[in-house]
Amino acid sequence: MRTKSTRDHIGRRKNIARLLGLIVATALPPVVQAADKPLVLGVFPRYNATETTTRYTPLSEYLQDRLHRKVVLVTSKDFQSFWRGIEEHHYDIVQYNQYHYIRSAKTYQVIAHNKEFGRNTMAGVLYVRKDSGITSVAQLRGRTVLFGGGEDAMIGYIAPVYMMLQAGLKKDDFVSQFAVTPINSVIGVYRKQADAAGSADNAMGQPVIKNAINTDELTALAVSEQLLQLPWAVKRTMPAKLREAIRSSLVDLENSEAGRNVLKTALLTGIGKADDKDYDAHRKMVRAVMGTF
Amino acid sequence: MGGWADVMRLGLGAKFTVTVLVILACTMAANTLYFVRASARFHEHQLVERGRALGRLISLISPEAILGFDFLLLNDYTREVSSQPDVVYGVIVSPEGVPISSYVNSNDPVIKKHAKSASSKEVLKLLKTLDGVQELIKLEFPITHNDVVLGRFLVGISNESLQRELRKQVLVQMGVVSAIVLFLSAAIHAVFRFNVLFPIRKLISASREVGRGRYNPVQVKSDDELGVLTRAFNAMAEEVKEEQAKLHRQANFDALTGLPNRMMAFDRINLEIHRARRSEQRFAVLFIDLDNFKTVNDTLGHALGDELLVAIGTRLQGCLRDADTVARLGGDEFLILVPDVVNEVEVEKIAERLLQAVSEARELQGHKVMIQCSIGIALYPDNGDTVESLMSNADNAMYQAKATQEGSAIFFTEEMNTRLRVRMQMEQDLNTAIELGQLALHFQPIVDTAGPRHRGAEALLRWYHPDKGLISPADFIPLAEATGQIVRIGDWVLEQACRCWSAWHHAGLNPGFVAINVSRIQFRKRFSKRLAELMSAYGIPPQALEFEITESVLLDDHHQVAEELNSLRAAGVKLSLDDFGTGYSSLSYLKRFRFDVLKIDRSFVAGLPANPDDVSLVKAILAMASGLDLHVLAEGVETPEQLGFLTAQGCDFAQGYLIAKPMSEDAYRGYLKDRQTKGDAGNLSFIHPVRANTGR
Repeated sequence: MRTKSTRDHIGRRKNIARLLGLIVATALPPVVQAADKPLVLGVFPRYNATETTTRYTPLSEYLQDRLHRKVVLVTSKDFQSFWRGIEEHHYDIVQYNQYHYIRSAKTYQVIAHNKEFGRNTMAGVLYVRKDSGITSVAQLRGRTVLFGGGEDAMIGYIAPVYMMLQAGLKKDDFVSQFAVTPINSVIGVYRKQADAAGSADNAMGQPVIKNAINTDELTALAVSEQLLQLPWAVKRTMPAKLREAIRSSLVDLENSEAGRNVLKTALLTGIGKADDKDYDAHRKMVRAVMGTF
Repeated sequence: MGGWADVMRLGLGAKFTVTVLVILACTMAANTLYFVRASARFHEHQLVERGRALGRLISLISPEAILGFDFLLLNDYTREVSSQPDVVYGVIVSPEGVPISSYVNSNDPVIKKHAKSASSKEVLKLLKTLDGVQELIKLEFPITHNDVVLGRFLVGISNESLQRELRKQVLVQMGVVSAIVLFLSAAIHAVFRFNVLFPIRKLISASREVGRGRYNPVQVKSDDELGVLTRAFNAMAEEVKEEQAKLHRQANFDALTGLPNRMMAFDRINLEIHRARRSEQRFAVLFIDLDNFKTVNDTLGHALGDELLVAIGTRLQGCLRDADTVARLGGDEFLILVPDVVNEVEVEKIAERLLQAVSEARELQGHKVMIQCSIGIALYPDNGDTVESLMSNADNAMYQAKATQEGSAIFFTEEMNTRLRVRMQMEQDLNTAIELGQLALHFQPIVDTAGPRHRGAEALLRWYHPDKGLISPADFIPLAEATGQIVRIGDWVLEQACRCWSAWHHAGLNPGFVAINVSRIQFRKRFSKRLAELMSAYGIPPQALEFEITESVLLDDHHQVAEELNSLRAAGVKLSLDDFGTGYSSLSYLKRFRFDVLKIDRSFVAGLPANPDDVSLVKAILAMASGLDLHVLAEGVETPEQLGFLTAQGCDFAQGYLIAKPMSEDAYRGYLKDRQTKGDAGNLSFIHPVRANTGR
């Protein structure tokens, strides 16, 4: 057991250290001060917080090393809290879906995009059962469509609905239901819980689907144009030097073994460079489906 | 039945052990079965409860995933459920019955056995296939949210491993039970064998010893039921021993004399035969019969007779060596077994000693009793090599001795057997003589000596044998008396005599009386009653019949004879005492019984009038008869001199060849007619000398 005099001695030493720290801080120039401010990395709750932390911590550490600046990974318990962070400009760097970017494009600027399954893009697809008798999108009138993700899912909802609108249907012409993920929407159609599924074009090739259902019993009723995958954006107020440093750091990931491991942990095959115009196609669909903001 | 019979042939120990084995096996098997079943129910209940817990859990956590169409999560749930031990499948179906998540444990033995071909992706088909599977427990749980049914969770739990475990448990239990049963049976058998079987076997062994006549008491080691049984057995064996000794005495020794009886005599002769055969020696069997012992009994009483038998037994023993055997065969018959005989002379000396010993007078109850015996002797192997043959031959010899001269001993000869065979043949022939008409009655007239007047005739029996010709009554009557045939023959004679007299009478003839000889045997068979029946049947007046009785008749029971004689006299018939003077000629008979006629035997008449002894005797008889107011008939009168003498001496009647020979029924009828025609005077022809004939 420590004695009282010993505890007093330790307390004094801590106070001296704090004082010395304050003196050093006031003596340094402003650039150094700015470099010390951590960058906040926000990742949309595609996975739960634990898994998000697990998969993106190596990436945040990687950025911290490359930028020589502390990077703090922030997770959200749900989309509402995540979106609040967007609206409050809480994140310096953010990784979210295409719809999120389009909505927040006034304050955030896209710098890169994900490469998943080796692909830069992904298309929205309407799947039906082969034995359903549905052969055209127009036949979905009055039917139930199970979309993967919520109404803000670009590939699982906006792109399929866009195709349905393009086919002359209105939102009221079909019943919309939402599965947790695009994969679940495909399974739901297979399980006859809906007449069609709004999902991604890569869904059928995933092992989890192949293990769960007989994919031969499903068919793609309509496929949208290819859309660039999930975007990486930074605050538009971020200095250009720092923005480019971040972009180049992300794009460089797939060029090194360490970077590939970081990508692998985040379930990515790479990160490519992206600009705002690369999301015009998305923007067109969002406007058609969601209206203007 | 054969199996049960086999069981019944098992020993007590085996039966007991089998019974214990069966009871233990049944009890423990029932116990095991009960516990295994209880265990099965318990484990199945646990299985169901586990299924319910899983079902409730899935029902609880599934709504979120269902509402969110999170099929992957549902799949995780069903996979997690199905990975539980014994869970064959977990299926979540929509309210419409469409499977929305399922997982089937394709490695489960139930699936391998019943749904090998069914794909887990065709869940409904699989469930239908498994519908009737016994080893599958199927549970169903509703999945609801805010009282809205979102679906159902179907879980199939296999009790196959439970069954397998139970089977294993049953096998183990059966093994343990079998071991316990065998051990307990062996232990019980050992205890039973030591405590029960051993004592019982000792008792069985002792019982067999008792059966062999050896009475060894069994040692009593306990106070339980077996101890009591052993004591009871010992007591019983002791009683049997005493009873056996008593029976042995009764069976082998004569109660009166204490001598060996007939059975033991036979045994000893048998043993002696074996011994003599081995040693090539001879031995003698002496058959002794007391002469007229019946008279002693009748006159002095049976008690004295018994005393006499005891005394004679003792005396016989005194004449013999220790190695010799004296046995009483019964009645007044004794048997002597004399082993190691060198020659007949030695036996003859022994016989003489025995005769001498028996004939010595002795004082019994104040009476001086004299008796003698007849002895028949048979030698082994000369006169037989079996007990039966030796006894029979000795018996024959004894009868021969008795017949020849009472108080003598005779060795058996083969000629005796020849005579015996002749006698037996005659006995057989005599049985059928009446039916075959071989018997006939002849009649010899009887007349007054004073005047030639016909008085009647004596009926004389004749037997015409088809092979042997005429057989003398002297030859066959004794045989008939000895065999009892005389009763039937006598009855026949009586009826024939009555019939003849009746016929003659109805023919207008005057036959006088018919004298009929009556045997002593007939008197024992209610002779007077039979006579009354015949007299009534043939209408015979009593004076037409006369019965000739020998003294031997009177030797029998006085009361019975007296009764019969009185009955005859009451019926009015006459009685004559036949062969007077040849037997005892006891005057007491004449005093005791009332006779009408004395018949002088032909042997006394034959010497008349030349033989002074015969003359004296006949005179004495006539004088006595005159004194007693009896008529006298002389038989065998063959010469006028004899007739003249008898007439002169006052003899009343005569019968003999001088008057007429015996003649047949027809001849006698002619004789009667002739006499009736000529009158009695015409009969005096017999006074003329007639050449004497031999025989009657």
